[in-house]
Amino acid sequence: MSQKPLELILARNLISALSTPAFLVDENGGIAFYNEAAGTLLGKGFDEVGHVGPSEWGGLFGPYDASGRTIAYDDLPVVRAVRAGRPAHQSFGVRAVDGRMHAVECSAFPLLTAAGSCGAIAIFWPAGDDFPAADLDGAVAGGERNGATT
Amino acid sequence: MRVDLWGTRGSVPSPGPETIRYGGNTSCVGVALTDGSLLALDAGTGIRNLGLALPVETTRLHILLTHLHLDHIQGLVFFEPLFRSQAEIVIWGPASPDASLRDRIGRYISAPLSPVEVRELPCDISFRACPEELEIGSARITAAPVAHRGPTLGYRIEDGGSTLAYLPDHEPALGTDLGTVDRDWISGFDLAADADLLIHDGQYADDEYPEHLGWGHSALSHSLAFARRTAARRTVLVHHDPLHSDAWLDAHAARAATAWEGSGGARDAVELGREGTSYEVDPATGEFSLAADEPAAAIAAPTTLAPR
Repeated sequence: MSQKPLELILARNLISALSTPAFLVDENGGIAFYNEAAGTLLGKGFDEVGHVGPSEWGGLFGPYDASGRTIAYDDLPVVRAVRAGRPAHQSFGVRAVDGRMHAVECSAFPLLTAAGSCGAIAIFWPAGDDFPAADLDGAVAGGERNGATT
Repeated sequence: MRVDLWGTRGSVPSPGPETIRYGGNTSCVGVALTDGSLLALDAGTGIRNLGLALPVETTRLHILLTHLHLDHIQGLVFFEPLFRSQAEIVIWGPASPDASLRDRIGRYISAPLSPVEVRELPCDISFRACPEELEIGSARITAAPVAHRGPTLGYRIEDGGSTLAYLPDHEPALGTDLGTVDRDWISGFDLAADADLLIHDGQYADDEYPEHLGWGHSALSHSLAFARRTAARRTVLVHHDPLHSDAWLDAHAARAATAWEGSGGARDAVELGREGTSYEVDPATGEFSLAADEPAAAIAAPTTLAPR
């Protein structure tokens, strides 16, 4: 069956109704959905992007650590939440489609079912405008510093 | 495959002069498979009459519970075959990390709620957490969690080339638009996809739904949207609200038919379930149609029984 697990469906329905930027990651670590608030933050809605595989994250949004380096996929809090089955939290910057940088606090928690993990939810909290965009590893040269713009 | 509606009421038994035609017994559907095996879908108070209709030669029965709300298990202690020493009853239901199915049902079949305990039942009874796929007799059965309050399963039963989908307690439209969301994101979609007969929650009128948002049941337009998206050939709406009289349900049925046909659906392909009616597969077309005889007569017919 190609149908998503019920827990993931209900999580999507929940975050669809939230004004807080939120992402849903499936059990394989791909972005299964993000809500309108996250789309506003990133500058592109999920309808335009569609499912994002694990290897495609970096090219789309970063994320970047405080020194401007791309955070490895395996180190992202939402991936850690899926794999370890426990919450994870981290501060980082994400790059919007227009190149602007947003500093966020990300909290991720796993969606555990009787059959194991079926994914995770990551919630982004805007964290001000002090993200060091100038130090980024070339991917967003000229990108504008911009924090809590959601 | 033959499908008998023994209980179509939701929430609580509602006998009385206002509910005679649609019935007052809570959820129970009997299914006679092509090889003669017998299933009961849910064990609301309707299962009492199913039990009374079973001849004593019937020794093996599978009960598939969607969930353990009282309107789906209340008839268990009044199910006569449980008190037959030669009967073998297998009860399937949703798994829980909290306790075994036996222990959870045992909370009801025990003091002070019940005069008998599970261990006192003379039949050979077993309780099994339902896997995603299982085979019973000639049927291939798929079970999957669906949107309702608490762990709840829906069932898809494929037998003899026909498919029955059973989702009596279901709120697939909670937080989403069934008309536009991708099918992979619709609760219960794969269970009901292309079903020949879909038995689905249809508890509320659209104007009643806002006051019952999140209660785990569907508004009429949601039920119809689900049927339309899943391309079910025939839809029977059940889990009638205990406050809805026969007259109210007649009007509800008319609303359903008008809306269904207005959206391009086939005439007579959507109806409200009535306790005491049966559906049979026409071997020529593979389609379900209303059976001419009463459920009790069908169950008593030797060809539909499951000899041990």
